Amino acid sequence: MAEILEINEEHHTDVLTRPDNGEGGEKTVMNISYGKTMMWYFLLSDAFTFSAFLIAYASIRLSQPWWPDPNLVFKSFPGMAHANAPLAFVSVMTFILILSSVAVVRAVQEGHRMNQKGVMLWMIGGIVGGAMFLGCQAWEWNNLITEGLRPYYNPFGPDANGITHLVHEKLSVSPGPIAFGALFFGITGFHGFHVFTGVCINIWAFIATANGTFQRRGHYEMIEKVGLYWHFVDLVWVFVFLAFYLM
Amino acid sequence: MSNHLTEEQYQSGVKAVWRATAILSVVTVVEVAVALILGPHFPKIIMNTFYVLASLAKAFFIVGEFMHLKYEKRAFMLSLGVPLVFLVWAIIAFATEGHYWNVLNYPK
Repeated sequence: MAEILEINEEHHTDVLTRPDNGEGGEKTVMNISYGKTMMWYFLLSDAFTFSAFLIAYASIRLSQPWWPDPNLVFKSFPGMAHANAPLAFVSVMTFILILSSVAVVRAVQEGHRMNQKGVMLWMIGGIVGGAMFLGCQAWEWNNLITEGLRPYYNPFGPDANGITHLVHEKLSVSPGPIAFGALFFGITGFHGFHVFTGVCINIWAFIATANGTFQRRGHYEMIEKVGLYWHFVDLVWVFVFLAFYLM
Repeated sequence: MSNHLTEEQYQSGVKAVWRATAILSVVTVVEVAVALILGPHFPKIIMNTFYVLASLAKAFFIVGEFMHLKYEKRAFMLSLGVPLVFLVWAIIAFATEGHYWNVLNYPK
């Protein structure tokens, strides 16, 4: 019996139905495949996790009398020591992630045409973009850690006029709100971990495409599912960008 | 799943994606430009309202166009969108509570 089912799965190229195994549920609801439906509902639950983090950030920030000004905290740019370029680097990161997302959308579209070479080409674009984003984030983390930011210590405090400035000497009491570092590293780290897993999954999808797995299967639905996860990472970044860098 | 995609459908799909890309890029550039140029001259509440609206616009383009939700069944969109309504409650409740701590601990 199991053997028969396996053979059925192998030759089953229509993603909107499943082989009849006598248990019902052969046809999907809402005209979307099981795989994509479940990826969407996983992403919904993941959205709630990120929302919980960002709402915690908002309530802690609102509970403080003073908060570091992002324009004065995030103003470094690689290759320009002590640069005063507020938001420039993070805008570059945002742009990289958007372009990486676009590359994966193009891979999905080539998949619809069963164009194996096209899928491979655009998946490489998506992987390179994701890796570049991770590199940028590593640089930014390294920069902030060098400046003294820790999950338990925040060197960005108010001067006499309430303007954000970096306190270089290590004080026994954190110059700025302590939660700033913990929230920054926690939330951008959780997002960065999603980017990292996304890049790994994209690399796997690229290898499977190169091996012709999806070509033999008769459809590139796997690229769509992988793509959904990748776009979600981009979507979350929009709100991390909003919470940490713009507001 | 359309393995029988016509050339025309393919071309219009590609066009839609590049259009969404252009819009996302422009909105991001405008956000940053506004933050740097207008930011210091306007009250924080107006700036933040603008940032939130611009971010929501970007989110709609990513979800609708890149994640293709615009083209799925309405029932499916609702099954994802309706649970998110809880977040409206959560944001209001936790923001109010956070602000209350601020007033309580640091009286002006």
